[in-house]
Amino acid sequence: MSEIDPCEWCEEVLQPYLDRELDETDEAKVKGHLAACGWCEKRYKFEEDLRRLVRRAAVSPMEPALKQKLAELRLEL
Amino acid sequence: MSETSSEEARRLAQGARDRVRFEEEALALADQVYRVARGVSRSKEEAEDLMQETYARAFRSWQSFTPGTNLRAWLLRILTNLNIDRGRRAQRTPDSQPLEEGDYFLYNRLEAASGETDEERVIERLSQDHIAEALAAVPHDFRDVLVLVDIADFSYAEAAQILDIPIGTVMSRLHRGRRTLKQQLAELSVGAS
Repeated sequence: MSEIDPCEWCEEVLQPYLDRELDETDEAKVKGHLAACGWCEKRYKFEEDLRRLVRRAAVSPMEPALKQKLAELRLEL
Repeated sequence: MSETSSEEARRLAQGARDRVRFEEEALALADQVYRVARGVSRSKEEAEDLMQETYARAFRSWQSFTPGTNLRAWLLRILTNLNIDRGRRAQRTPDSQPLEEGDYFLYNRLEAASGETDEERVIERLSQDHIAEALAAVPHDFRDVLVLVDIADFSYAEAAQILDIPIGTVMSRLHRGRRTLKQQLAELSVGAS
């Protein structure tokens, strides 16, 4: 009987795992694998850090002038 | 007669109040909407234009919003549709990269360049400018999904609804979008060699 390689499976579901989109059973399975496998855990941490960076890079506040322009687009009463 | 007109006046006043409340709630979400606009646009100017078009359309069609539903998702649906309408999707989808290369590419490359094995050190080599530049280079179809999930924190189902595409498409675009992002980052941070 051939089993799917757990690291290969982990790689496949790593993105939905990161996004908390897996069902409980699969989530527990990934968690268990990450706790036991150094390589996959490292991969996961890397993806997680990358996401955090992407999120931080996207925080560029809106100019007050734009905010003002948006408010002016409101319909006349 | 006078009863009818006072009824009518009450109705109008209520309508005006609803509209003002809608406008205020929409404006209160502007910072969050802007993050997405900035994420899906190539430049700040483009993002600002997109914001103004989005809000102009939202204010005009406020009556089509169902109170009690997700206003942020409603606004972002307008924004992403406008973005498509404006023909910002002219960019070609890059040829897909083999999975094994794409997914380990950045990591291996950064690790090789820095001689570091600690993942936190590897990630530190990426500057915020690198990230923003790399994000701008991701094709629009992929980037829209990536921005909605990673930056705006929507679920796959919500992103699917906003973009009017199946969940499976959200997942594959997200996967490919992140992979493209990693490839771009590897190019930018390590330099083509």
